[in-house]
Amino acid sequence: MSEIMSGAHILCRTLAEAGVDVLFGYPGGAIMPFYHALPETPSLRHILVRHEQAAAHAADGYARASGRVGVCVATSGPGATNLVTGLATAHMDSSPVVAITGQVSRPMIGRDAFQETDIIGITLPITKQSYLVQDAAELADVVRDALAVAQHGRPGPVLIDVPKDVQNQKVEWTSPDVGAQHAAPLPSAPLPAAGDDAVRRAADLIAAAKRPLMMVGHGVILANAYAEVRALAEKTGMPVITTLLGISAFPEGHPLHLGMPGMHGEVLVNRAIQRADLIVGIGLRFDDRVTGNLAAFAPRAQVVHIDLDRSEIGRNVPTAVGIVGDAANVTRRLVAAVQARTCDDWRAEIEAGRRPSGGSFSGGMSPEAILTAIHDATGGVCTIVTDVGQHQMWVAKLFPYRRPNTHITSGGLGTMGFAVPAAMGVHLARPQERVWAISGDGGFQMNMAEMATMVQEGLTVKLAIFNNGYLGMVRQWQQFFHGKRYSSTPIWSPDYVKLAEAYGIPGYRVQHASEIADVVGQANAAPGPALVEFVIEQEANVYPMIPPGGSLAEPIEAAV
Amino acid sequence: MTASHAVDVLLDDTLLTLNRAMGVLRRRNVAVQAFTVRPCGPAGVARMTFVLNTDPATADRVVQQFHKIVGVRAVEVTTTPDPITEEQP
Repeated sequence: MSEIMSGAHILCRTLAEAGVDVLFGYPGGAIMPFYHALPETPSLRHILVRHEQAAAHAADGYARASGRVGVCVATSGPGATNLVTGLATAHMDSSPVVAITGQVSRPMIGRDAFQETDIIGITLPITKQSYLVQDAAELADVVRDALAVAQHGRPGPVLIDVPKDVQNQKVEWTSPDVGAQHAAPLPSAPLPAAGDDAVRRAADLIAAAKRPLMMVGHGVILANAYAEVRALAEKTGMPVITTLLGISAFPEGHPLHLGMPGMHGEVLVNRAIQRADLIVGIGLRFDDRVTGNLAAFAPRAQVVHIDLDRSEIGRNVPTAVGIVGDAANVTRRLVAAVQARTCDDWRAEIEAGRRPSGGSFSGGMSPEAILTAIHDATGGVCTIVTDVGQHQMWVAKLFPYRRPNTHITSGGLGTMGFAVPAAMGVHLARPQERVWAISGDGGFQMNMAEMATMVQEGLTVKLAIFNNGYLGMVRQWQQFFHGKRYSSTPIWSPDYVKLAEAYGIPGYRVQHASEIADVVGQANAAPGPALVEFVIEQEANVYPMIPPGGSLAEPIEAAV
Repeated sequence: MTASHAVDVLLDDTLLTLNRAMGVLRRRNVAVQAFTVRPCGPAGVARMTFVLNTDPATADRVVQQFHKIVGVRAVEVTTTPDPITEEQP
């Protein structure tokens, strides 16, 4: 039956009926009708963040961990512009996020009204789709469409801008239970299906190759293609390389797992790429941090590229066979088409180049020791959310990921400040398991106010800070490429233990290796959020490193 | 090799879709030699036509980005060799 409802009520009801159960947001003038209606839909849990950027990152974290759309809410003007970094992060990493922003009332649009900004114009290049709702009667369809667009095909962020008077506008609304036209699924383009011929040619290349490799990325996680990728590797013996966002798409410790490629990839991984005669890339985009100098990338290799996004195929590396399709479906067909084989000689050739890794860390406060302690304290049943910088690379290289989709980080945009708020979203998606947000002292200070959100909302996030007193990765670049002029990279920190105390959560400082396991165990076992500061070597570097624009064949392996 | 690529895009005739399509050209910093937008066919559909003078790979990358825009229904490219030749000294 139909009833008269305001736009704000329609917005809440439609979100709830679409299965949304949590929103991350911050109220303000132009979104007040929505917040007025919100308590009448109790199935929508609202998490009040301390800054709208955190709302977008938390929605992103929720989306990546749950596989469902993450929703964030902000007011017009500064509220909306504060979402921008989070939306750009989600856009670069193909994460389904829907942002709902208040807008000034329709008659005021274009008059530079108080807190008016053209958020649709600002976010056009970093959203998959956007809507300016001009009539409350459109709202329900817009919300359903936005949720579908965000998830369909290659996921991405979508923005809905709702003028305040549209939120207040009363219109007739028909429950989808009664109105069949509302209940009907939205028409959407079918996902592309790969042709048999392309799969056959890819299988032939795999059969003929002497030095084949698999490179898997985020697309494998988005498509839940873990079993298919593992089956392809095990049937062919091809070693598997996981990109930064592909980490945990293939179990670390599996005999066929090689590691991460690119700028901070292990030497043997990059050397394998340079020697390979075939690369089977699944759900990755061969970005510059993976390839280094494109002209020198994998000079002997033909490339089979499987991706859902047609525009990615051939975009960065020439492709012998490009297959547009869902990673799970295409890989499953490839497994059926390919002949069983082994790559024992090739694997032995790669392994011959393996060298002991690890640098020198004073007092034994090595990233490896810290990460081992977190792994042991959680029994490996945890999701690690990282920020951006040196710690991110150490975690990527050293944490023994065994379970799918348990590594969440800002890859494409490289957003410092991502980990702490994103981990809140991950916790809400996976309340049954531990979530550790690992940051440097720089990135942590960007969004540390979210500790208040964790306390107020009861979000169990464990915070680890790798404190080296520097913006470490930038300092490392200054050391290598800018004559060791450490310009503006030494960074002061507050007393994190006292800070934790001020927020009412347990705080710990670890300065000696002998304390690591005990403190991590205590923090992990504590109810609610906890903070652990690890005081690490100030000028440690992440090795190896391919200089920006350099060839994968020319790594820096020691201080210069 | 440089050639003229006339790109025809059929898309939803809404300001946001047209704006997003323009953004693809702006972001890639591709020189556009001619540009028209007009209503076309059934109500609510527009045809955007533009000419790029560039290499085939660049033109193809632009076209692939248009395919990704929600509201774009079809993209067609007609390629002709550069019609302008310079007199050799």
